[in-house]
Amino acid sequence: MIEDDFYRTSSQYRLWSFTAASLQAQRATTNAVASDRVRAAIRRAQEARRSATSSATGTAVPEVEGSTSTSTSTNHPAKAEEKPIECLTPEEEQQTVSYYCEQIIQLGEAYKPPLPTIVRATAIQYLRRFYLTNSPMTYHPKQIMPCALFLATKTDNYYMSLRQFADGVPGDTTAEDIIAPEFVVMQSLRFTFDVRHPFRGLEGGIMELQALAAGQGQPAPHLAATQTPESLQRGLLALPSSSKTITDRIARAHHTTREILKSAAQITDVYFLFTPAQIWLAALMLADRPLAEYYLDTKLGFPQSSVQEAEAADGLAALRPKLLRTLSDCAAMLQAYKPLASDPEQMKTLRRIIGKKLYHCQNPEKVNLGGAGQKRIPAAALASSAAAAAAAAATPTGGVDSGASESEMERLAKKRKLETAAESSSGSKDIFGGELVMQRTKER
Amino acid sequence: MAVSPLIPNPASHAAKTTDATRESEVNGSERSPYKHNMKYSSHVTNEREITEQLNDDVRHKYIKDKRLGEGTYAVVFLGHLRTDPSSFVAIKKIKVNAEYKDGLSMDAIREVKYLQELSHLNIIALHDVFSSKDQNLNLVLEYLPRGDLEMLIKDTNIHYGVADIKAWMGMLARGVWFCHENFILHRDIKPNNLLIAADGEVKLADFGLARSFADPYLNMTHQVITRWYRPPELLFGARQYSGVVDIWSMGMVFAELLLRVPFVAGNTDLDQITKICEAFGTPNEDNWPGVTKLPNYLPADPNHVVPLQGRDFFLRQFPTAGPVGADLLMSMCNLDPRKRSTACRVLQHGWWTTDPTPTDKKNLPRKIDGVKKMGADLTRRGGEIEDSTFKNAARQLNFTAARD
Repeated sequence: MIEDDFYRTSSQYRLWSFTAASLQAQRATTNAVASDRVRAAIRRAQEARRSATSSATGTAVPEVEGSTSTSTSTNHPAKAEEKPIECLTPEEEQQTVSYYCEQIIQLGEAYKPPLPTIVRATAIQYLRRFYLTNSPMTYHPKQIMPCALFLATKTDNYYMSLRQFADGVPGDTTAEDIIAPEFVVMQSLRFTFDVRHPFRGLEGGIMELQALAAGQGQPAPHLAATQTPESLQRGLLALPSSSKTITDRIARAHHTTREILKSAAQITDVYFLFTPAQIWLAALMLADRPLAEYYLDTKLGFPQSSVQEAEAADGLAALRPKLLRTLSDCAAMLQAYKPLASDPEQMKTLRRIIGKKLYHCQNPEKVNLGGAGQKRIPAAALASSAAAAAAAAATPTGGVDSGASESEMERLAKKRKLETAAESSSGSKDIFGGELVMQRTKER
Repeated sequence: MAVSPLIPNPASHAAKTTDATRESEVNGSERSPYKHNMKYSSHVTNEREITEQLNDDVRHKYIKDKRLGEGTYAVVFLGHLRTDPSSFVAIKKIKVNAEYKDGLSMDAIREVKYLQELSHLNIIALHDVFSSKDQNLNLVLEYLPRGDLEMLIKDTNIHYGVADIKAWMGMLARGVWFCHENFILHRDIKPNNLLIAADGEVKLADFGLARSFADPYLNMTHQVITRWYRPPELLFGARQYSGVVDIWSMGMVFAELLLRVPFVAGNTDLDQITKICEAFGTPNEDNWPGVTKLPNYLPADPNHVVPLQGRDFFLRQFPTAGPVGADLLMSMCNLDPRKRSTACRVLQHGWWTTDPTPTDKKNLPRKIDGVKKMGADLTRRGGEIEDSTFKNAARQLNFTAARD
């Protein structure tokens, strides 16, 4: 049991393992919180722009005792912006994230040489972990995805410079765009970078099967009384098979399993719900069920064993149905996966979600994470300045110089307001208003 | 142990205000624009992102006290739990490197990545990680106030015997074994990375060069491990190696504990190879099959071939270890990595159960004030060499002077 003990100390188990119910609850919470924020932020942006428009056009609302920002909106109705904002559902968020996970596989393939499978797999898990506590409405996955992949090259010892990495990213994405969300990403990963993948376990299992096939497989210590390398080899060769040789069969199972681990295992929730060993065994079940079951028999003992053996292996006998149930749950999840990109129906849905809906419910206070050519974005300052901007905009005295007590934030807020005003008056079509002014981080 | 992250409810307005107040406490004299801003934004619903809240919760667990040391790479502060002023921690703040444009540096990533996974009595504990507002990474590490093994080795006023060495080596071996069981190579074992806790326990620190075992046939860098502790296969440029690189370093620490000076201390990588050959024997295809195929292998001067040293040599060279101890050391210093002991085999060796029994950790020789040394050790960048330690120490003194 010592190996289980090791796994239980891993951050993957401690922080990133869930039951189906807790995973769903987590996503629902994230979605609810983000939706509220998006609505509030868009409202703030609208109000800010409206009051900015009023000061820019010189028709400032006369300051009345007890006047509120609602009076401003009645003076300047902006009908188009006031229809309720339709936010993504948790399911839509998940589909969006899955699409960008597939994009990681594609992007990794485009490098010369292609990025190692393990780097891509780690990046995908980073993205999936990131979106357990963040919503695509808050941080658009197209911004986070390249950053997650670059971070994975660093944490998985596949070192390349940011410049080199950026050259491989299509479009006009700059190195600065890629690195800008790094801190937000690391914080959301709760500074745990280790991902336990099922790949190495699969390699070990395949090597064991090859040894069994060659008659060199050693029986497990607790089964040494009933199994010999020869009996194990005979049993393996006696399995029903369509392959010419056992070597062929193992090689085919190996390949198929690996493909499942590279695709379905990455894009589905199996990493959150199962252990790496369960994942690769479930994938092997899908690839070659008799082979996988035989492999388990060499560990758990053969079910058709004699009475004495059954008594000796009592604990293992009880373990078998439990393990098989877990493996078939995992296998069912893997089997249900259909790549989004190759399915026109799913792509149509995605275009609606990402292309239209997400465009309108993107949190305007977070959109230009990578903008302004800034390396590190102070998330807190960003939020504060946005709040200050909103506060200043919503306060009728915001346009008047209030003198000595003016804070840096307020000054920035005003600057932002003026810029927004300038933009609005110049007929900008950006529905979210101008870019946020961001406080430059002090590098120390 | 919680199975899933605990997600707190979105902060209520009251909670936020308290947070802002706390924040200013944590940052001491630093002004908090966030707090300052509260009065302007108080009527706006502006909760923090979920992950920011989680981060704030962690940050608010600790209070930073005085600065213990500063290097080019990090600043280390003494800190304590807010709820318990007597529970000390070391807070290592990683500096943002302005020249490094590629985000968080590899050293910091490695250190955080591996310490997050390793929880063992003989490995420095990483209690928490959080970011301060200026996006600096802060590692909350175990407080280890008794300095390091280097300090004990060098201090001639400190007398220790083979029972003490056995205790220290035992703790080191268990820590290294645990790393390897978790498929992690430390790659920088040396006396000043072996810190000592208040109770005398030795803790393996500085994971800035650590990495997980590579898959078979994948290359790794050979430019790791401080030179005097670097095994011959790395000096010969091997790109595929195993946990026994750390075992060689352990052997060198063992020898140094016995001799109280570094055993093979080369001035250059080439000199290091020469000194290793002189001490342990000249490697060849007989005693180390495959050695001549390593990328940086240099054929030995035919007039200067040293035969592979046997047990007699180790006994003669390290009489205090006793015959069983010398045998253990020899198994750790095998030139051929395939024949060198693994961490598991080291732990199974008979020396641990031979007389004398290891000293109880509370009775081990100790320095009274090792806090400053801990500060210097923790600020060092992975793989940084000896003299920079002294530079850091000097700088540290200057800082103290400047503040007084």
